[in-house]
Amino acid sequence: MANPIPRICIAMGDPAGISPEVLAKLLARSDLLKLACVSVIGDRRVLAEGETVAGVKSDIAVVALAEIEQAKPGKPVFVDLRHLDPATLRQGEASAAGGGFAMRNFREALLLAKSGRVDGVLFTPLNKLALKQAGNPYPDEIRWAADVLEWKGPCSEYNRLDDLWNARVTSHEPLREVPGMLTRERILCAIDATAAMLGATGMARPRIAVAGLNPHAGEGGVFGREEIDIIGPAVEDGRRRGHAVEGPFPADTIWIKARRGDYDAVLSMYHDQGQIALKLLGFERGVTILGGLPVPIATPAHGTAYDIAGRGIADPSATIKAFETLVALAAMRLALAAA
Amino acid sequence: MSAPLALTLGEPAGIGPDITIAAWRRRGEFGLPPFYAVVDADFLAQRAERLQLPIRVTSVEPEAAAAVFASALPVVSLGMRVTAQPGRPDHSSAPAAIASIRRAVADVMAGRAAALVTNPVAKAVLYQAGFSAPGHTEYLAQLAQQATGKPTPTAMMLWSPELAVVPVTIHLPLREVPGRLTVELIVDTARIVARDLEARFGVARPRLAIAGLNPHAGEAGALGEEDLELVAPAVERLRADGIDARGPLAADVMFHAAARSTYDVALCMYHDQALIPIKTLAFAHAVNVTLGLPFVRTSPDHGTAFDIAGTGRADPSSLIAALRLAASIASGAPAAAASGR
Repeated sequence: MANPIPRICIAMGDPAGISPEVLAKLLARSDLLKLACVSVIGDRRVLAEGETVAGVKSDIAVVALAEIEQAKPGKPVFVDLRHLDPATLRQGEASAAGGGFAMRNFREALLLAKSGRVDGVLFTPLNKLALKQAGNPYPDEIRWAADVLEWKGPCSEYNRLDDLWNARVTSHEPLREVPGMLTRERILCAIDATAAMLGATGMARPRIAVAGLNPHAGEGGVFGREEIDIIGPAVEDGRRRGHAVEGPFPADTIWIKARRGDYDAVLSMYHDQGQIALKLLGFERGVTILGGLPVPIATPAHGTAYDIAGRGIADPSATIKAFETLVALAAMRLALAAA
Repeated sequence: MSAPLALTLGEPAGIGPDITIAAWRRRGEFGLPPFYAVVDADFLAQRAERLQLPIRVTSVEPEAAAAVFASALPVVSLGMRVTAQPGRPDHSSAPAAIASIRRAVADVMAGRAAALVTNPVAKAVLYQAGFSAPGHTEYLAQLAQQATGKPTPTAMMLWSPELAVVPVTIHLPLREVPGRLTVELIVDTARIVARDLEARFGVARPRLAIAGLNPHAGEAGALGEEDLELVAPAVERLRADGIDARGPLAADVMFHAAARSTYDVALCMYHDQALIPIKTLAFAHAVNVTLGLPFVRTSPDHGTAFDIAGTGRADPSSLIAALRLAASIASGAPAAAASGR
């Protein structure tokens, strides 16, 4: 059976940073565009600015929102909402106009996904301050996406650096609340979801390393008991369910083992436990994936990089990786649905 | 010739003796500064035999150590026999481990040694022998205080050529960290760090990057109050003192290469916030440096590793890095040590 070709929608992110130029660089990669039917949502004039900065030109047909089905492998289409004139924008500065632009694009892309017209959504970097100025009420993109998609099931954020994945049991929470949020059930649920996410990329039995919560993973209970009372039993539960899961390991050395290939994924207990290591190891290459939703959503892990915007030096690696990951996830889902 | 380094015995059943022997054997390869071990000479010779690493061990006074260093591992013997077998800690060796620390501290306070380098101890063994300090570093601070009559607050810095970090809280369950943090604790720690980086590391106006406690440094209070209520006021107070402190910074974006080039040391709010980045960047060659003491003290950034003691599998990299850094700081030309960032 030929690999199914997924339909991917790209929502333009914050217009004042590097988003337009990394998108322009992605759209100049005809080899990648052949892998999917790509539609882009935004303002053509903003993309044109990005093309000028990046020194590339893309041959992309402008269509109406109702016509995105015209997208074919290697022939992307652009839905020009004409809602932001880049001449009114200051580069490298967060603004309500920029935030509103990104919000509208992401919302339209999610609505296309909700109505089954696309199989995956990619968005280029957003700016939190700009979103806030534009009145965006959501603390993170996953809650935003779940809300628009009217999705009530479990969903969570994953990060990918090269071939290594990271998932976490708690996310954007005050650190003080983390220990109280950890339960055996919740950790087991995260182990299940992580195995399912890596399974969705074609990995049969991903090897998952689970981090402890405390220094030295509690050192036998001397520096905290969560490893003994909660995390260890959850790892056991996961093993009984057939997962290749090990731990809890001290969080400061877990990355060394994972990086040398001992594991496919690290499950962290809290945000910074994973994010510190991943961003240190490959700030420019990391990808964020929102998993568990009706469609996969991906974005580069880096931000809008206002300090280097407009200079043509922005590295598109993470955007390209995000696109490739999304295509793989969406294609696998289509293949499973067809089987 | 400047004074040699004093190296303590540490826990004799652990890998301390193994890495001491291995480091000395590689003295030429790494251009190691002269050091002497404060240890029972027979014990060390026996361990070398067991490891099939024949070496000459010569008992000397510190003043003679540098002269024999090229041809033999100099030891300052305390006349206390040590019999512990590798991997089998027993409390009979505790008095020798403690005496080794006391002698090395006395030597460095008297100027007979240029700096102190300590091998890892086993706290459980020392406690059985009536040791009352909470840890190795606290014991050194007590000895320093006895010698100088001044209170000696310390801070622990993990140092590597790529990154230096100081955890403000250390071996605490994570759930106790937010309650233990205070403006004073952050300010006091940062002051020790700023003072010693300037005085010992030769960093003219040290740049301190101070991490927030919460994800995204609390995102203006949305993800926790401590960054607004504790970390930000601490940074303000430090800046008012003329210390180049910045923060609270989002911990996940302060350790990549471009970010690291903007500061000399990162102050972290809890153990893993500091240890994750430095272990990930510099696993085998991070060095533990105690700041705040009246002398230079470094140690390898690992424990006693009883499971591999006496097998020859212990990696001396961190001890070698600790010896080199100690010598570099003590020689007063440590700007080289802090460079590379």
